[in-house]
Amino acid sequence: MIRPSAQLRATIQRTVPPFLILLSAAIIIVGKADQSMFESLRVALADDLSPGLDMLSRPFSVASTAFDRVRAFFTMYEDNLRLERENERLLQWQQAALKLSADNRDLRGLLKVVPENAVSYVTARIIADSGGGYVRTVMVNAGSEQGVSRGQAAITGTGLVGRMTEVGSRAARVLLITDLNSRIPVVVESSHANAVLAGDNSERPRLIYANDPDSLKIGDRIITSGEGGVFPPGLPVGVVTALEHGGARVEPYVDLSRMEYILVVDYGLSRALPQPVPVAGRASRRGKGSADEASAR
Amino acid sequence: MALKVSSIPSLPRVNNGLARAIPIATTVAAAIVSILPVQAPGYAALTPAFTLMAVYHWTIYRPDLLPPVGLFAVGVAHDMLSGGPVGISALVLLLARAAVLRYRRIFINRTFPFVWAGFTVLSATALLSLWALHCLMQLSLLDLRTTMFRGVATVAIFPLASFALGRTQRALMETAA
Repeated sequence: MIRPSAQLRATIQRTVPPFLILLSAAIIIVGKADQSMFESLRVALADDLSPGLDMLSRPFSVASTAFDRVRAFFTMYEDNLRLERENERLLQWQQAALKLSADNRDLRGLLKVVPENAVSYVTARIIADSGGGYVRTVMVNAGSEQGVSRGQAAITGTGLVGRMTEVGSRAARVLLITDLNSRIPVVVESSHANAVLAGDNSERPRLIYANDPDSLKIGDRIITSGEGGVFPPGLPVGVVTALEHGGARVEPYVDLSRMEYILVVDYGLSRALPQPVPVAGRASRRGKGSADEASAR
Repeated sequence: MALKVSSIPSLPRVNNGLARAIPIATTVAAAIVSILPVQAPGYAALTPAFTLMAVYHWTIYRPDLLPPVGLFAVGVAHDMLSGGPVGISALVLLLARAAVLRYRRIFINRTFPFVWAGFTVLSATALLSLWALHCLMQLSLLDLRTTMFRGVATVAIFPLASFALGRTQRALMETAA
């Protein structure tokens, strides 16, 4: 093997670090100018590394589950009392929900409402997060092979989590609703006022561009409006917890720091053209349960 | 200016290929640990800067085994996997390496509190630069509190990381002997 001379090695040693520093700076600028530039590379890397990340992230979830179990053991009595009370209340709500859903079906039949599209879900496990607080995204172990595509909504049983952004064949990235770049068209449930939920990297995103900011109240429920065609309407998002000048802070229903699994929702919005013959009482009900229950609360 | 690079000193040669890879391997491991999801409230934002700890440790004790090209690759891969702007981690890690390399003599054979203080200065500078870069990228003033809390978490966990890295290093030196 030919060994470089000592002088050459010294020259390389001297010039490589500054060159790499300048290269990094250049990459940052180029990446900022053309945001899509590194996307295919990112997606490919995520695809290749997702099985490894999936495996490595498991001990953390096992540890977290074990910790929760130990804690649950100590709070069992209080939890039981709380759950009994909650169960009583929920049974009343169940009666109300059954009655409302029957009413709803009848009224939809009378009004000949266009049936909603069938919904399919993909369950995905979170295998990486962004670590550092400047970006609020998570990576999940499902991609186009599982039927995930860009723009779909990511939810959990309690509410909206975010939107699928970079989708590879086996892994995908979710832009959380708290990210600085997240903008979700929402509506205030009580007043039907439109607004935009804007993330700012804090735990509680801001409600901006509200139609009627003065009518906002603490405790108002925020749901997706479906405007812009990215998300279906009616997904629970969060609740107003603080009022600010011209807007409010919204506490998401989902605890974004404690998620392990998410559901990627395909509402088939791209195919959501009205059916030619709406049939009364045949509204597709598959998968609507969680949203209905949540809005009955 | 940190861009001025000091030359790498001649250190005892490590012939075992596996042992030579330990500094870069621990840096890669640090990068992976920092993106693994931990289901603890607020952890994602406050994740300690593990890679910075590895870079500080190895640049002081074995700068010959942590090549800038490797560091660049780790930084770029980390940015790609974490979803952040590509190049930012690489830039900060390379600048940190250049800065530590210049002053590394001060830290050799010193007591741990002194090394810890050095790391506190480095992580404060590095995390503030990271914050400034992100502000510049987003063209908005980001909340500095998260960065400050992250700095505290990073400095607080350093003794643990330093202990682990020191152990690995001693094992490395034994194979070199």
